[in-house]
Amino acid sequence: MEDLPASRAVAGTALAALALGAGVLPFWASDYVLDVAITILTYGILGLGLNIVVGYAGLLDLGYAAFFAIGAYTTALLETHVHLGFWETLPPALALAALSGVVIGYPTLRLRSDYLAIVTLGFGEIVRIIATNLDITGGPNGIYGINPPVLFGVELSSPAQLYGLAWAFLVVVLLFTRRLATSRLGRAWLSIREDETAAEAIGVPTLRVKLLAYVMGALVGGFGGSLFAGRFGAIDPTGFTYLQSINVLIVVVLGGMGSTPGVLLGAVIVAGLPEALRFLELWREFGFAIGLIVLMLVRPQGLWPAPASRRVVLPEGDAGNLVFPGAGAARGEPLLAVASLTHEFGGVRAVSEVSLEVRRGEILSIIGPNGAGKTTVFNCLTGVIRPRAGDLRFRGRPIAGLPPHRVVALGLSRTFQGIRLFPNMPAYENVLVGMDPHHRVSLPGEIFRLPGTRRDASEHLALCRSLLRFVDLEGAAGQRAGDLSYGDQRRLEIARALGARPEILLLDEPAAGMNPTEKGELMALIRRIRDLGVTVVLIEHDMMLVMQVSDRVLVMDHGALISEGRPEEIQRDPRVIDAYLGIEEGEEAGAEPEEAALWRS
Amino acid sequence: MALLEVHGLYVAYGKIEVLHGLDIEVKEGEIVALLGSNGAGKTTSLRTISGLVRARRGRVLFAGGDITRLGAHQIVARGIGHVPEGRRIFGPLSVEENLRLGGYLMRRDPAEIAARLRASYEEFPRLAERRQQLAGTLSGGEQQMLAIARALMLKPRLVVLDEPSMGLAPKLVRAIFSIIGRIRAQGTSVLLVEQNARQALRIAHRAYVLESGRVVLAGTAAQIADNPQVRAAYLGGGAG
Amino acid sequence: MQAFFQYTVEGLTIGAFYALVALGYTMVYGIIRLINFAHGDVFMVGAFIGWSVLVTLLGMHWAMAAAFLVALALALAGCGALGVVIDRVAYQPLLAAPRLSILITALGVSLALENGVLLLYGPGFLTYPHLISTAGFDIGGVEISWAQTAMFVISVVLMFALYLVVHRTYVGTAMRALAVDQDAARLMGIDVERIIQLTFFIGSVLAAAAGVMEGVYYTQISFFMGFLVGLRAFTAAVLGGIGNIPGAMAGGLLIGLLEAYSAGYLSSRWTDVFVFLVLIGVLVVKPTGLFGERVVERM
Repeated sequence: MEDLPASRAVAGTALAALALGAGVLPFWASDYVLDVAITILTYGILGLGLNIVVGYAGLLDLGYAAFFAIGAYTTALLETHVHLGFWETLPPALALAALSGVVIGYPTLRLRSDYLAIVTLGFGEIVRIIATNLDITGGPNGIYGINPPVLFGVELSSPAQLYGLAWAFLVVVLLFTRRLATSRLGRAWLSIREDETAAEAIGVPTLRVKLLAYVMGALVGGFGGSLFAGRFGAIDPTGFTYLQSINVLIVVVLGGMGSTPGVLLGAVIVAGLPEALRFLELWREFGFAIGLIVLMLVRPQGLWPAPASRRVVLPEGDAGNLVFPGAGAARGEPLLAVASLTHEFGGVRAVSEVSLEVRRGEILSIIGPNGAGKTTVFNCLTGVIRPRAGDLRFRGRPIAGLPPHRVVALGLSRTFQGIRLFPNMPAYENVLVGMDPHHRVSLPGEIFRLPGTRRDASEHLALCRSLLRFVDLEGAAGQRAGDLSYGDQRRLEIARALGARPEILLLDEPAAGMNPTEKGELMALIRRIRDLGVTVVLIEHDMMLVMQVSDRVLVMDHGALISEGRPEEIQRDPRVIDAYLGIEEGEEAGAEPEEAALWRS
Repeated sequence: MALLEVHGLYVAYGKIEVLHGLDIEVKEGEIVALLGSNGAGKTTSLRTISGLVRARRGRVLFAGGDITRLGAHQIVARGIGHVPEGRRIFGPLSVEENLRLGGYLMRRDPAEIAARLRASYEEFPRLAERRQQLAGTLSGGEQQMLAIARALMLKPRLVVLDEPSMGLAPKLVRAIFSIIGRIRAQGTSVLLVEQNARQALRIAHRAYVLESGRVVLAGTAAQIADNPQVRAAYLGGGAG
Repeated sequence: MQAFFQYTVEGLTIGAFYALVALGYTMVYGIIRLINFAHGDVFMVGAFIGWSVLVTLLGMHWAMAAAFLVALALALAGCGALGVVIDRVAYQPLLAAPRLSILITALGVSLALENGVLLLYGPGFLTYPHLISTAGFDIGGVEISWAQTAMFVISVVLMFALYLVVHRTYVGTAMRALAVDQDAARLMGIDVERIIQLTFFIGSVLAAAAGVMEGVYYTQISFFMGFLVGLRAFTAAVLGGIGNIPGAMAGGLLIGLLEAYSAGYLSSRWTDVFVFLVLIGVLVVKPTGLFGERVVERM
C-alpha cells in the first residue's frame, strides 16, 4: 500500500511529461518521426481495445486485426462507393465492428479458453481471406483514393494534422476504456478473469459479460481501423494479417494486461523498438524477437502491471442502508424446499434422495464427514451443478436448472469451501461485484457520467462501505483481496455474498482455518447476519460452533440425510456419533469376516 | 534418531502463511496421527514433507538425511510414499498402469516389478480382478485401495496418508484402517492425517493436534484421546 | 467420381504431414497446457536442416539413398535438440507465470526461428534436390505415386511408433500420468521436468520428419512454410480434440482431405475459410473437438 502514492506521482509526472512532449512534437520532428508516432498511437488504440478482451476479461483473441480490418474497409468502402465523408462512415463502421464482435463472441462463449485461440485466429484469417478475394474490396490490391478526414473545412492530410487526429482518437479511446474499467461491467470482466465459476456463482451473468467484452473490444478495433483508412488513404489486406493481431497481443501482454499505462508503453515498444533497431538492418526482426523473449522472461507479469491495491475513500452512507428483503418477515415460513435431491459423479452417488426444508429466520447447520455430499447439495441449490433428479423450490418457485446468477438474483447467495475471492481485485471491488444483481446503473450512464448514474453509483459505494464495516473490514477496503489474512478473506467472502442482499446465505465451512478467537467472532457475525433478516445455512465441521450457533442441525453421511434435530438431540443420536466420529470399539467385532469377503476373496 | 523429523517448518501460499513452525517426528515402526480441523495445515504438512510444496523456513530430515530442498521425485526415491487427499489416481489409465507407475523408480527391473505387482494383487484381490479396467471407473473404496497399493509399490520406509477414509462407507473405513495396521506390521512407518479421529487414535501410537499451522497438543494416542479439549472439539463433547 | 478419389489420395498425403506436426502440438498441450506456437517453425527448421545436409552430401557425390538417410537423421536430431532447448530456455522458467506470458514467448521463439532462417537462407524459395520419381501405379484411373505411398506409409509407421511409445512403455505411461495430474505424477517418483523435455523432443522429431518429407515431396521450402503448415496442424489438433493423440492423427488427415477437396472443387484461395468454418462448426456442436473427452469440472 505504501508505494501507491509514489507510483501515482510517478505516473502523473510521466503523463505530464508525455503530454508536453507529445504537444511539441509536431513543431520540431521530421515527418518520419511523426509517422512512427502515429503508428505508436494506432497501436495504443488497438492495444487498449484488445486489453478489454485479454486484460480485463481474460479471454484470448488471436484475430483482433479482423475488427481493425472491418472498421478500415467499412470506412474505405463507404467513402469510395457511397461518397460519405470520413466522419459519417464512423457510426456504420463501429456498428459493423460491434456486430462482428457478436458473431465471433457468440459461438465461442462456451468454449474453453484455449480453444478461443484457434477460433479467433480462424476468424481473423477468414476476414483477411475474404478481403483478399472479393472484388468489391479490391482483392489483393485493396482500396485506394480514400479521402482524408475533413474537420471544419480543413483536410487533415499533413503528418502533423494526422498526428493530432490520432491523438484525439487515442484520447477518446482512453476515456472510453478507463470508464469501462471502473464501470460495473468492467468489474464483472475482472471477476470472470479471476474466477469465472465463482463470478457466475455470486451473480455475474458471465455469458453476457463475455460477449460484451468482445463487442467493446471490437468497437475500439473498428474505431482504430477507420482512423487507419483515413490516415493512409489506401488500405490492402496485408495490413490486417495474423501478424498484426499478434503485434497487438504483444502490446497488451508485454505492457501489462489490464494496465492502461502498461498498454501504452507496450505500444511504444512494439511500434518504436523496430525503428530503434534499424541499425541492426537485416537482423532487426530477429533482434525484436529475442528482445521479446528476454523481456517476457524478466517481467512475466508485463512491464507495467496493473496495481491490485488502491487507496479508496468510500462515501459514508446513512446507517440504515443495510436493508435485506427478509427483514421483519415472520420467522418459520418455509423458504426453500428440497425433495429427493440426487446427484452422481461418474457413477458414484454423491447425494441420494435428500429432502430438506429451510425456514425463514433460522440458522441451519449441515454436518457430516468430508465426502458426505454436503458441498454437492450446496452446488445443486445454487445452480453450479444441475442435479440428476429432485425438486428444488425457493419460495415455491422451481430453481433446478437455473444458471447460478439467476439463483443469486432470486435471493440465494453463497460462500465457498476453499476461498474463492477475486484475489487480484481490491476488497471493496469484490463486494461491488457481489452487489451486481442489484445494481441499477446503466452502462451509457457510466460511460458519459450522467448525474443520475453518479448518484446511484455513490449509493452503491456507500452500501459497499456498510457491508465492509459489517464484517469489520472497512480499513482494508483498498487492499488486494489475495493479500488479506485467512480470517479476513473468509469475512470478505461473506460480505461479497451479502452484497446480493440474499434471503438465504449459504456458508460452506466458514470457520475452516480460523483460530479460536476468530471462530468466536464468526459465531457472533453469523448471529448478526440472521438478525438482519437473512436466513443462514451452514456447512461446518467445528462442533463447538455448530452446537452453539444452530437452531437446527441436519446430518449427512454417504450422500444421505441420516439425522435431523436440535443441536442437543443431534449430539445424543448414536447414528450421528457412528457416522461422524467413527464406530465404537465394541461394534468392531464381527467386522473382520465381512471385510475379508470384500478384499480378500 | 527418529525416521522423520520436522523442525520449525514455515510454509506460505503467496502472502498467507499456513504453517508457522511445525515440529513433528515419526519413529521407525510407528503410526502417528495428525489431527486438526480443516484448514489447520494438515495437508500442507504432508505436501511439504513429500516435496510438493517448498518450505520458507525449517528442515525436514528423513532417515538421517536432509530432504528439505529435494524435489518430490527424489524424496520418493529416499523411501517416502504419499497417498494424497482425494486419492488422485490416474483415472484414464488402467489399474495395472497405475500400479506400474507406483513402481516407476524400479522400471529398469521388470522382474522386481512383476513381483511387486503380484504382491499387490495378493494384498488387494479386488484390484487383480479389475487390473485392465480404467481406474476412474472404480468405486470410491477401490480407488482408495489403488492409491494405497500404488504408494506401497516401492516398499517405502514411511507412508503418509491424507484422509484415507474420506467419503467411504463404514465397512470400508474399517477395511482401510486394518490395512494401515498391516502396512505397519510389514515394517513401514505411517503418518496419518484423519478426520475420523476416534479410529485414528485407536490405531496410532502417538498423535499431534494441529491448530492454525502449529502443534497445540502432542502425546500418546491414549493421552490425546483422553484430553478433554480434544474430546470436545473432535470427538463431539461428552457424547463420545 | 475419379476426381474425388484423386483428391482423396492427395488429401491423405498432405494430411499425413499435418498429422505428424499436429502430434507435437497435442502432446505438448496435453502435458503442460501450452499452445506451442513455435512448433510449426521447428517443422520448417527440419526442412532446412535436411536441405543443407542433402545439398552438401550430394555435392560430395554421395549416393542418393545414403544422403537422404543421413539428412533425415541429422534433421531429426537437430530439431529434437532444438525442441529441448526451446523448452528449457523459453518455457520452463515461465510455467508458474501468467499463462499468456508463456504464449508470448512462444510467439517470440516462432518469430526468432523464422527470422533466423530468413537471415541464413534468404527470403526466396529453396529447391530440394530431386530425389523421387513421379512413377506410380494406377487404380481405376486414380494415380498414386510411389512417393505418395512411401510418405504415407512412413507417416503412419511413425505415428504407430509414437502410439506404442505412449501406450506400451514406462515413459509413455509417465507422460499420460503427467497429463492427468502433475503432482500425483511427482509422487510416483517421476521427474516431471525430464518428461516434459522428452515430450518436446519427440514432438520436434516428428515435426522434423514431416519437414524433410515435405521438402522432398513438394521440392520447395521457404522460411514461411512453418506458419502455414503449423496453422493447419494446430487446427487439426484442436479439431481432433487437443491433448488426444489419435485425435491429432484423425484431425490431420481430415484437414488434409478438406484442403484437397476445397482446392479441387472450389479454389485453393478459399481453403482456409473452409477449414476454419468446419472447425468452428465442429466446436460449436462439440466444444472439446471430435475425440476430446468431456472435462468434468468439480468444485
